[in-house]
Amino acid sequence: MKLLDLLRFKPLERFVRWRYSRFVMQVPLLLVALLALYDGFFGRQLAPKNFATVSVWLHYRGFLVLAIAVLGNLFCAACPMMLVRGPTRWAKRFLPQFAWPRALRNKYFVIGLTLLYLFAYEYWDLWESPWLTAWLILGYFVVAFVVDALFPEGTFCKYVCPLGNFNFTLSTVSPTQITARDPKVCLSCEGHYCVNGRVETPEGRKTLKEAPDAEGLRFPGCETKLYVPQIDSNMDCTLCMNCVRACPYDNVAWKLRAPLIEAAWARYKTDVVWLGVLLFFAGFMNALAMVPPYYQIAERLSALLGTRNEAVLLSTIYLLWTGLGLFLTVGVAALADRISGVKEPPAKAVRFWGAGFFPLAFAMWAGHYTFHFLTGWATIIPVTQQALNNLGIYVGEPDWTLAALVPENWLYPLQVIILYIGLLAASYVLFRRARARNSFAAGAVVFLYFFLLVALALWVLAQPMEMRGTLLLPQ
Amino acid sequence: MRRLLLLALLLLAACKPKTGEPLDAKVRFVPEHPSVGKAEICIEVDPDLELAKIEVVGDMTHAGMIPVEAEAHPAGPGLWRVEDFDFNMRGDWVITITAYDKSGKKYQKEVRLTVP
Repeated sequence: MKLLDLLRFKPLERFVRWRYSRFVMQVPLLLVALLALYDGFFGRQLAPKNFATVSVWLHYRGFLVLAIAVLGNLFCAACPMMLVRGPTRWAKRFLPQFAWPRALRNKYFVIGLTLLYLFAYEYWDLWESPWLTAWLILGYFVVAFVVDALFPEGTFCKYVCPLGNFNFTLSTVSPTQITARDPKVCLSCEGHYCVNGRVETPEGRKTLKEAPDAEGLRFPGCETKLYVPQIDSNMDCTLCMNCVRACPYDNVAWKLRAPLIEAAWARYKTDVVWLGVLLFFAGFMNALAMVPPYYQIAERLSALLGTRNEAVLLSTIYLLWTGLGLFLTVGVAALADRISGVKEPPAKAVRFWGAGFFPLAFAMWAGHYTFHFLTGWATIIPVTQQALNNLGIYVGEPDWTLAALVPENWLYPLQVIILYIGLLAASYVLFRRARARNSFAAGAVVFLYFFLLVALALWVLAQPMEMRGTLLLPQ
Repeated sequence: MRRLLLLALLLLAACKPKTGEPLDAKVRFVPEHPSVGKAEICIEVDPDLELAKIEVVGDMTHAGMIPVEAEAHPAGPGLWRVEDFDFNMRGDWVITITAYDKSGKKYQKEVRLTVP
């Protein structure tokens, strides 16, 4: 089926081909980050009244899922952390250069970092502290700088950044993808410029890989090393559009696609599927941590273990829940394999059936973020006014009564709809995969598992909210 | 340059902002440990402090939550009261009491509590 190539829209193509297009997208987010740093460090330390906490925990997350659902991974494209690239190119002249260790060239390291981040989020209540949120932003920039200065470009995005990998995972269900307009052109391409970069020297065209210091017009290639004609997934694609600019044959398309085509057909690596599975269970946990049953579980666990140490209790709950999730997923995938008559190791079974978790993970996070975003979307106005006023740029008195985008009684039905869509999408993925195995019974087993998980998620979202920083009530 | 960076980091580390002019007041809730719903807030200040107005704002500690705003009414020498303050959700609350004296000077006090 011939699908629309967004880059056939001339103004967009001209913008994407412009060498400063990414920079133009990064600047607004850099300004947001700077204002968040200022207000986080110097503003009032009250989350609903501080630009750092409101912009990061409400709007950034809300717009992120919206952008991924509507178009794609735009927030990686506009990531202000990659503005460290200029300083790191300078720093690289003086610093030793390392290759990213082979053992870490997968998603397991970033899975570990994501778990650590989620633990920190709950343990230090990052969501309620503008000061810690500002430190998180600053820390992110510092780590991006250090990794980018010491390792090849793209290492941070692909192997280290939990946020970027979160975006990659959710964008597997985005309606757009980078692809080759005509794969035959790529077959005769002498330099694979989309991945190797291009430099137009007086002596002729070369790749940046073979002539990194050559003088001339330079077009960097894909930093995460994706070769355009082989792209069948949005995983690791930051939508930086380097490939579009580097291809001398105008052969890169940004095509609309059916959002589920990737999850239905792509052959993911095991680590990538584990990341998707983990993000679903982590998303569930993130929502659970805001409702009363979570605190009841913590109280019971505290009595059982005889400790009130929050780090111990929190890690136990997280490890038990994600451990149980991973264990059940392996079991259900292995059972589905057995039913379909396929004999393969459990990890391969997860690799095949686990792709259904991608739309489910998206729905889980989207449902949760939608609640927060729609509840307090307009609060960005008074917090921005307050932060700018404090900076000496007077933009009027903040109106703290600015509130929700939709009536409160719409929120839960909206979350239900989002999760139902997620379940429907996941069942389509399972259906295609079951058909490939010629065993609908196998797909039905995994569907039943997903159905129970979604029912549990809906139960969690139906609970009254309890926004508490302390796990246990004082005795 | 390195010293400057170090100084900047130390300044950032130490820059947790302080609140404004402190208000010396005793704040009580009725019931003592409010649960979700209406509660009374009693604010006792030095009777010699001639206050014109006391505003009470309740914020939850998550971004995006809309504040609950109320005005306290004088209920005796140095005693101000907010009846029916609406703790509309479980969780951590920050109650900000802002008092203005007759010259317009502003005093503030913050009280944190958990509504179970």
